[in-house]
This record gives sequence, structure tokens and C-alpha cells, in this order.
Amino acid sequence: MKNLIRSLAGGVVAASLAGAAVAADIPRTPDGRPDFSGTYNVATLTPLQRPEMFGDNLVLAPEEAARIAEEERKALAEDLERDDPNREAPPKGGDGSTGAAGNVGGYNAFWIERGDGAFQINGEFRTSIITDPPNGRFPTMTPTAMKDMMERRRFYRENTGEAWWLESHEVGPYDDPELRPLGERCLLGFGSTAGPPMLPVLYNNTKRIVQNANTVVILVEMNHDARVVRMNAEHAPADQRFWLGDSIGSWDGDTLVIDTTNFRDQTAMYNATRDLHVVERFRYGEDGQVIYSFTVEDPNVWSEPWTGEYPWPKTDDRMFEYACHEGNYALGGILRGARILEQETMDAKPEAGSE
Amino acid sequence: MKTTVAATLAAGAIALAPIAALAHHAFGAEFDPNRPLLLRGPVTKVEWVNPHTWIHIEVEKDDGTKEAWMVEGGTPNTLLRNGLTKRSLAPGTLIVVDGYQSKDRSNRANGRNVTLDNGEKIFMGSSGTGAPKDGADPRER
Amino acid sequence: MGLGLRSLIAGAALSGAVFALAAPALAADYVAPRGPGGKHPDLNGVWQALNAANYDIERHLARHSMQLREGPHGPLPAVDLLKLGAVGAVPPGLGVVENGPLPYTPEGLARKRENAANWLERDPEVKCYLPGVPRATYLPQPFQILQSHDAVMIMYQYANAVREIYMEDVGEAPVDSWMGQSVGRWDGDTLVVEVTGQNDQTWFDRAGNHHSDQLKVTERYTPMSPDHLLYEATIEDPQTFTRPWKMSMPLYRRMEPDARLLDFRCVEFVEELMYGEWRRVPLERP
Repeated sequence: MKNLIRSLAGGVVAASLAGAAVAADIPRTPDGRPDFSGTYNVATLTPLQRPEMFGDNLVLAPEEAARIAEEERKALAEDLERDDPNREAPPKGGDGSTGAAGNVGGYNAFWIERGDGAFQINGEFRTSIITDPPNGRFPTMTPTAMKDMMERRRFYRENTGEAWWLESHEVGPYDDPELRPLGERCLLGFGSTAGPPMLPVLYNNTKRIVQNANTVVILVEMNHDARVVRMNAEHAPADQRFWLGDSIGSWDGDTLVIDTTNFRDQTAMYNATRDLHVVERFRYGEDGQVIYSFTVEDPNVWSEPWTGEYPWPKTDDRMFEYACHEGNYALGGILRGARILEQETMDAKPEAGSE
Repeated sequence: MKTTVAATLAAGAIALAPIAALAHHAFGAEFDPNRPLLLRGPVTKVEWVNPHTWIHIEVEKDDGTKEAWMVEGGTPNTLLRNGLTKRSLAPGTLIVVDGYQSKDRSNRANGRNVTLDNGEKIFMGSSGTGAPKDGADPRER
Repeated sequence: MGLGLRSLIAGAALSGAVFALAAPALAADYVAPRGPGGKHPDLNGVWQALNAANYDIERHLARHSMQLREGPHGPLPAVDLLKLGAVGAVPPGLGVVENGPLPYTPEGLARKRENAANWLERDPEVKCYLPGVPRATYLPQPFQILQSHDAVMIMYQYANAVREIYMEDVGEAPVDSWMGQSVGRWDGDTLVVEVTGQNDQTWFDRAGNHHSDQLKVTERYTPMSPDHLLYEATIEDPQTFTRPWKMSMPLYRRMEPDARLLDFRCVEFVEELMYGEWRRVPLERP
């Protein structure tokens, strides 16, 4: 099969090259390869990990998918409803928002671009992006990794507007900029946006692929990260480490395979280490969509590799610049705020707050 | 009391991918839940920057003096895809913001909920008619 | 005729000859191999400028420092830069501006001088901010052009800056950005790129040369040889300059067999500078 592809000169459309079960009219580059060039919006409401109630069931019933889409539509519409212009300030002590919003509320709906439904692959809705392990959830973590994760979680407490970390006399989450998440520092995106693996997040889900025979570039909107995939090359030497890892590509029939290693100690993929190894695949599905799948392994973290897949729908939208560091007022505010809260706590009770 | 969409979604997300959601955005680290505010005044400038748009407004205090405040929003890129431009939200437009003050006590607040002075959400679609989906949203199917 | 005069004439003749070559000599009969798609020249590769333009785009002699103060016998490095010694000196440059000096308006020139006098505080390069166009081209770090049969993208090692070159009309840029909005087309074997929608925050170099948000840059990338491109950029900014002006320079292919972009996400290198005073336990600061 591969020799047949190589022997064809550029410009010959490859109907006769159709591999296993692919649509007859996959777009192709002049040298006959599937062409993944384009702009994509990968936003989706399908979660990475499967809600436990679905057990080992990868397929999401259409009624359930419809319910998810409708709930989303309603939540957005509710948020976009007119408010009372003479409303009051929100409640003191916080508005009860949980998680990342941190008790001070999150964004209005017009900022968010997280998709309007669960995704479908070849007509089938899925309960999760993860397809293996069969329960659609991360494999068991190694004891060391579990311990590290619990350590990091201690940094995340409800936002009470107080310097709670002073109680424990240890390293606090706001002691130094280096302790803040990579997204807050504007080094990488919020979540594993470029990864790899590349995962959908709350907004800025646009990706752009430009491809020639020697190089494939995947431009990821957040954090204007260009992943340069060197085709048919060797990995960089072990002492060369990269924020986005070192990606080499090859063809397996009509599937583009990307192998990435050489990560730095801090990776976008949460919990992973420098030994992270990701293999990604791009292919055209029967329904004509580009399907992105990936296998993640990090023996320091997970007891076995895990695999996921989701489609990359093409979009007519454009990607816009994500100049993060240049507009990062927030990081200074976060650090200064922590210093002020610490001072206030120490002024009120000097014995409790001292180092 | 209405929670914003992100809070609702984040609550859902928390159950499924806790660390990812926690890594998500800076509001929890930056703003003080014990300092709620309501700001009302004309827009003076919009900084269409990432990671967060900043909307500058002039707030008149009870004693008549004016203060400059900055309100933190989300990424402008979502808005640009909905057809907004640097001319949207012109200076002088009256807005109302309910949110919380920055922990560093500066004149900054999170744009938890930003509306026009008639209560309509700002940045509603490219034509700004105020309807949640006015056909300008390319994601509508 | 004395020895001095003879050598002066010889020198003049030599510099005359050099001057004729300084208008970059296009190997006019060079035809580059075709790129993907077979129609246009192949601009793919890792490229880098090799000049002192990032220090100062105008022709200049070597200087003590990027920021100067008056000394008893002429300028000296500013206090904050003193310990860099010769490493902090500015190397000389033939200049990349054609028909210089830069045609500033009076206000533009005054601001340039202020910028130079306050370089350390004001140059966006110090804070690792995105460099804008054309500065991104001639920063002393490589960049990579990726050209497919229907698209062009340029990735810069510095601050992982990146530009998509739209090969079709996409209308006015909705907002200003640091790298602007680039729209490209082919003019024979030259890739012509128009860059609009840049904000006014970037500079042309470390000498304080600046622009407004009215800036429009028209770039031309033309293959000169298998391993050289000719880069030209016409600058239009009626708010800052009294007329359009142009810069040009060769771009050199990085010839190493393993040539590639490495990471220079300088954000992490400026965190101490920008945020260090707000550490829980601040370190010593100047």
C-alpha cells in the first residue's frame, strides 16, 4: 500500500488508494496524502472521563445527548437573559460558585465557547472522550503519583478571602509565580490545549493545521502554540526538552501518526511527568469528519496507557491571536492580593501568622 | 439567586475532571468573596487582550468624585468569532457590573455579570440586538 | 599625491563599490525549486537574519550601551546596565533602512529619543512581549516558514510568536493585535504579505524606533539562491512618519542538518523582573 502511494506523482487523486472503510473523497495533498489542513473548533460537552453512572458503556443514547444539549442551551439562554439594572451587589462571603470559579462567580455566557452538545463519531454519541480503559476513566495511578496529586490538591481550597495557607506554616499556593498554574503564568494554555494530548477546554478551542510532505504544524489558539511535527524524523536527543514535547510524524496508510516525547518536567497534561509519551492519530472517519485519537502513557503516573478519541469539526471561524503574557494583569493581582491577605492575617494575629 | 453559566458548568465539570477544572481560571485566586460590589458607569476603554479582556469604567461615588475601575472578563477571541470588533462597546456606553473586588484592594473587579444599564447582557451577538441567538452565531445549527 | 590622499581615494572607490552592492544584489536569474503544489517557489525552511538591525535598524556606529547617560567625556552606559560591560555594548550596523535616516515627524522623533533614553523601562523586548512585524523577522533567533500547497505560516523561536498568513481577503482586522493580521499573495516568485491591525506597543529595534497603530507593513520574500531569501518591508504610518520608507536585508537558511526551532518562552525568564517583588519572600532586587 505504501509503495503504491509513493509511486504516484503529485496531483493524482487517490480513489484507488482508499484504505479500510474511508470516505471516497478524502481531501488529499498534491502528493496524495490525506490533507488535514484546515481550521477546527474542537469544543464539545462530552467529558474527558466518563461519568460513573455509564459504567463500561461508550455509547451515549441519543435522548441523553439531546438532554445534555438542551440543558446547555437553557443554561446559556438563562445567563443571557436580561437582568435587573437596579440589582444589588452579589452576596458578601461569595455567591456559592464552586470549583474553578472560586466562590466569586465565573464568566457570563458570551465569553464561553465550550460547544453546544456531545460529539458524534460515525453517527454515534459517546459518553466520554476516553475509550480505554473500558470504563472510560483514567487508569489507577501509581502510589507516588497519587501522593503527589493529593499534595497538589491541598493547594486548592475554597476561596474565603483569607490567607488560609498561613495556618499550616508551609509553602502557600501564592508564594511565588512559579507555583501558579502554567495557564495563569501564560506559559501554556488553561488545560491541556496543545498538550499533547490536545483536549477541549472552556474556550479558545480553535486549532489550525497546515501540512506539507515534510512538516505538519498544528497551531493551537491557546496559548498561540505551534506544534511543529517533523515527518519521518528521529526524536531529539534526551537532553533536549520541549514545552510541547518533541513530535515526529509518519503515515500508517491514510492515518497520520504523531509520536511525542522529550517533555519538560511540567507538562500541560495534568499529573504527567517528563516521561510522558503520547501517540496521536488523525484520520478521516466514514462520516467525513477528522477524527483525533491519542494514547497516553506515563509509567510514573498511570498503571497502564489510556486512550481517547473525539472528532475535530472543521469551522469557517478564524483563529485569533492569544497574546497572553502581554495582557496578564491577573498574575500581579493574584500575588499582590495574597501578600495583602497575609499581612492582614498577621496584623490581626501575629503569633499564628509568623513563619 | 442566579449563578452564572460557568459556575453551573464548572460544578458539573468538577464531578468529572476535578484537576482540569481547578487549573482553569484565575478568578478564584484573584478576587475576594468578602468584597462584593456593584459598579455603574460609562465605559472609558476596552482592552481586547488575552487571557482576559479588561473593561475600564468610570464610577461616580456618592460624594460626586469619580474613580477609574477595571473589570476583568474572558477571552476576546470568542467575541471576535461572534462578529464583535474593537468598535463594539463604545466608550460612553453605560454598564452595570456586579462582582467582587480584587484581593489586592485595587480598583479591579471580576466581570462576574456585566450588563448594559437596561439589564441586557453586553456582547450579545454581532448585531447586538439583545436576543440570545439572533442568527449571527455560526455555531447555531 | 600623498599616501593619505591615495588611500582616501582608494577607500572612496572601495566604499563606492560596496555601496553599489549594498542595494541588495538579486541574483536576477535564480529560479527557486517549486514548493508544495508545484506552482510557487519553495520558501520552506528555518531562516535567520544576520545583521545588527535588532539593535538599531538605521546605519550606526558601535555604542557603549542600549541606554546611555552623559559622562564627563561623552556618553556612558546607564547605571543599570553598567555591569554588562562590553557584553552590553551595541555592535555597529550597516543599516537596513533604504535612503535613511527615518523620516519621522517632529513628534515621532522626539518620542524616539525619549524611548532611547528610557530603553530599559520601555523596550517591549525586555519584557518578552511579542515583537510585531517586521521586528520578528530580524530578532537574533531563527524562524520557520511552513508553506503548504495553499497556506503559509511563520513560526518564530522568540517567545513562540507565530503568524498565519491568510492567502485570501479576510477583511479588516476586528481588533489590533501584537503580530497583526497578515494577508498574503504571490507576485511572480515573491510572496507579498500585507500586515495591518498591529497595536502601537511594539518597536522596530532596541534604539527606540517606534510606530503607531496606523502602521501598515508590506513585506516581500523573494528567493535569491538556494539558501537566501531577500526580505523587504515597506513601512507606512502617516501618524509617525512623513512618508513611507523601506527596509531590506538578506535572510539566511540555517544550514545545520538538525536545524529546528527550540523553545524560547521567555515569559519564565522575566517573571522575577515583573513579579518578583510580590513573592512571599522577595529576593534581593536592584
